[in-house]
Amino acid sequence: MSAIPAALATATGLGGAGALAGVVLPYRLRVPVVGALTAGVGVSGCGAGVAALGGGSWAATFPGVLPLAGTYLAVDALAGLFMAVAGAVVAAVAVYGIGYATGHGAHGLGSRTAQTALPLFALTLVLVPVAASVSTFLVLWELMALASLLLVLAEHAERASVRLAGVWYAVMTHLGLVLLLAGFALFAADAGGESFAALRAGASAVSPTVRGLVFVLTALAFTSKAGAVPLHAWLPRAHPEAPSPVSALMSAAMVNLGIYGLVRTGLDLLGGGPAWWWLGLMAMGGVSAVYGILQAAMTSDLKRLLAYSTSENMGLVLIGVGASGLFAAYGDRLLAALALAAGLLHVVNHAAFKALLFCAAGSVLRATGVRDLDRLGGLRARMPATAGLFAFAALGAVALPPGNGFISEWLLLQSLIHGLQVPGVAVAVVLPLSVALIALSAGIAAAAFVKALGVGFFARPRSEEAAGAKEAPALMLVGMALLGAACAALALVPGLLGDGLDRAVAAVGLPGGGAVSGGALKVRIADLSASLAPLWVVAALTAALMLAIGLPRLYGRRRRRTNARLWDCGGGAPTPRMAYTATSFAEPLQRVFDDVLAPEQDVDVTPVRESAYLVERVRFQRRVPDRIEHRLYEPLLRTIAGTGQAARRLAGGSVHLYLGYGFFGLVVLLLILAVGW
Amino acid sequence: MGLLRKIRDTGRVAEPAPPRPEAEQLPAAREFGGSVQVRCVDAGSCNGCEIEIAAAFNPVYDAERYGARLVASPRHADVALVTGPVTRNMAEPLRRTVAAMPEPRLVVAVGDCAINCGEFSGGYGVEGAVSDVVPVDLQVPGCPPEPGEIVAALRRVTGR
Repeated sequence: MSAIPAALATATGLGGAGALAGVVLPYRLRVPVVGALTAGVGVSGCGAGVAALGGGSWAATFPGVLPLAGTYLAVDALAGLFMAVAGAVVAAVAVYGIGYATGHGAHGLGSRTAQTALPLFALTLVLVPVAASVSTFLVLWELMALASLLLVLAEHAERASVRLAGVWYAVMTHLGLVLLLAGFALFAADAGGESFAALRAGASAVSPTVRGLVFVLTALAFTSKAGAVPLHAWLPRAHPEAPSPVSALMSAAMVNLGIYGLVRTGLDLLGGGPAWWWLGLMAMGGVSAVYGILQAAMTSDLKRLLAYSTSENMGLVLIGVGASGLFAAYGDRLLAALALAAGLLHVVNHAAFKALLFCAAGSVLRATGVRDLDRLGGLRARMPATAGLFAFAALGAVALPPGNGFISEWLLLQSLIHGLQVPGVAVAVVLPLSVALIALSAGIAAAAFVKALGVGFFARPRSEEAAGAKEAPALMLVGMALLGAACAALALVPGLLGDGLDRAVAAVGLPGGGAVSGGALKVRIADLSASLAPLWVVAALTAALMLAIGLPRLYGRRRRRTNARLWDCGGGAPTPRMAYTATSFAEPLQRVFDDVLAPEQDVDVTPVRESAYLVERVRFQRRVPDRIEHRLYEPLLRTIAGTGQAARRLAGGSVHLYLGYGFFGLVVLLLILAVGW
Repeated sequence: MGLLRKIRDTGRVAEPAPPRPEAEQLPAAREFGGSVQVRCVDAGSCNGCEIEIAAAFNPVYDAERYGARLVASPRHADVALVTGPVTRNMAEPLRRTVAAMPEPRLVVAVGDCAINCGEFSGGYGVEGAVSDVVPVDLQVPGCPPEPGEIVAALRRVTGR
């Protein structure tokens, strides 16, 4: 197959040209040229991925490119799936980004630094799955992290919170890198080689303890990149603060690579493992799914809501990947293939609807400058196209029938329910629990997105900014329409992905059981008695909707109609301040989950100076903090800061002391050498 | 068992239905078909009429057995039962309430104040009688009218 290397070379060339253009060109030319080149990176990356999904594969070694280690590249169907997803997202978002950055001026996303980093970030998103040795992978991984960090910081001059988010992201992503480095170094040392082929071949010879350690280290790093609870703390900070096209790239393409790393390492390179690995992964996934969506339902920041929803969806994917490993550990490889296919399909679906959601949120942010749902509203009339696209993507995110998220979640539930035939106490306990958690998260997701859409776009505007909103420019709408078309295709004909998905699953050594097949129409589970035809579902729903709308019209036409004033109890017309806000919408749910969320409440009563009985002012404040951040990260950070403070005494500034350290160190070293040898 | 015993001990408290009022059913009320939903509007009453209206719908007078029923919104109502002189602040809400009712609709002025401002005539806060603000179809005089009279007026609307 010569299509794959050609496409990859094109992507690399365009990415390099884009970065160069970002540095060299003046502002007016910079944004459109860089945007077009980045879109080219996306298209060629997607092309390479699709070629790999279609059965192509490619491998090459360039010994001279990286010193000492050399560069190993390989493309199989699993890599192809993630490349195709990342490429498609990059292409659509790059088109959207041209419109977005143009209106923003020469700072923020339009700045020289950001426009240089953008094509590099896009390129690394496409290239990370191509890496086929530890050093190549880590170099690309780190490049991706640095490019995205620069992009997260693009608007640092406008808000102080951007800088804080950047620090969180930088620290957590680099801690992840350290874990990856340690895990892979351990693995490579024991397997006798650092190329993926050598790791794969040597994995069976590695002792179970080391294998377990390698899995835990790499899984921690990869789940942190995927934004799984409790390693998610960077995600709800960095994703909302980044410029919206970057948020879309990070949430729809970058977090996926965490899943890719996990599948590649756990299922492919290590070749599967004992049940406790996968049970741990499923537990993490379950907690992420419920906790993530619960926080999403609580927050009134539109982009933060979407970021937490990313945590939720990655949790669902982790449940799928974990279940796959679990079934494989118990020897049921067909079910393992099904669960993995469900997880991977959800990665694709999530990428489509989340990129669209972030782009739509970006349009809102660009038009109003407001992210707070409590201050939005009334956008349906002012930005009809954006509102429609947001609604369509939200339909996918809530996993209800006509949306694309429904299909993968249905597949995931099917694999879990049918997994009960696998013997074992752990399976009998964990699978029903996972099913319940998925159902719960789907329910809360519905509440969260009803809130985002209903409060953010419907009713009347609750602030001047929202009242003055204008529809996004054409290029942004084109980018969003592309993503919307992808969502629709995934919802209507997921069967198109069927063969590619089978090949991706087969790439990790599981039998691709034809989980999604039956031409372009049906999702059918091989061997099992469940089937779903999305087209028929959509047709039935459309017919029901037409009946529900049409019949009353038809029947009501015989009656006389008059237009009357809205009944407002005879008083004045209701003001926008009386409308339901995001906070009030979430309040009942917050009461239900009071023990989990532990909201902080503050009532401050100020009496009049003359008398304690007359109240001048009452201030009521309520905050729902991220409890995991509160309980886990803050004590940890305090401890580290305390240790640092205590260690300052060791470096008091006295030259004598430092000379003493040197002397002491030398003596200890000599002693060790003397005793050791 | 407490409820059953109470029912047995108390027996029937509703007064025997008085004969049908001689006056004919209002022609405009024919379309209601004997079932009339009533919305009360206090346009500035001293609440004397409200007490009597409440009594008209209690178990003793039981206006509901003739097909009249109190509802909570003018959108559900066929008849507006207006009490009191219309005060300035209630003039516009009264107009809007009547406008909010589906057609056909009737307005019943209950009590002397509603008919001619009664005691409060000429008061600085009084806009006028109910008929000065909205068209009135039926009047129930009295200060306050007795529950039986209110029931009789409602029976002229329901025709039962």
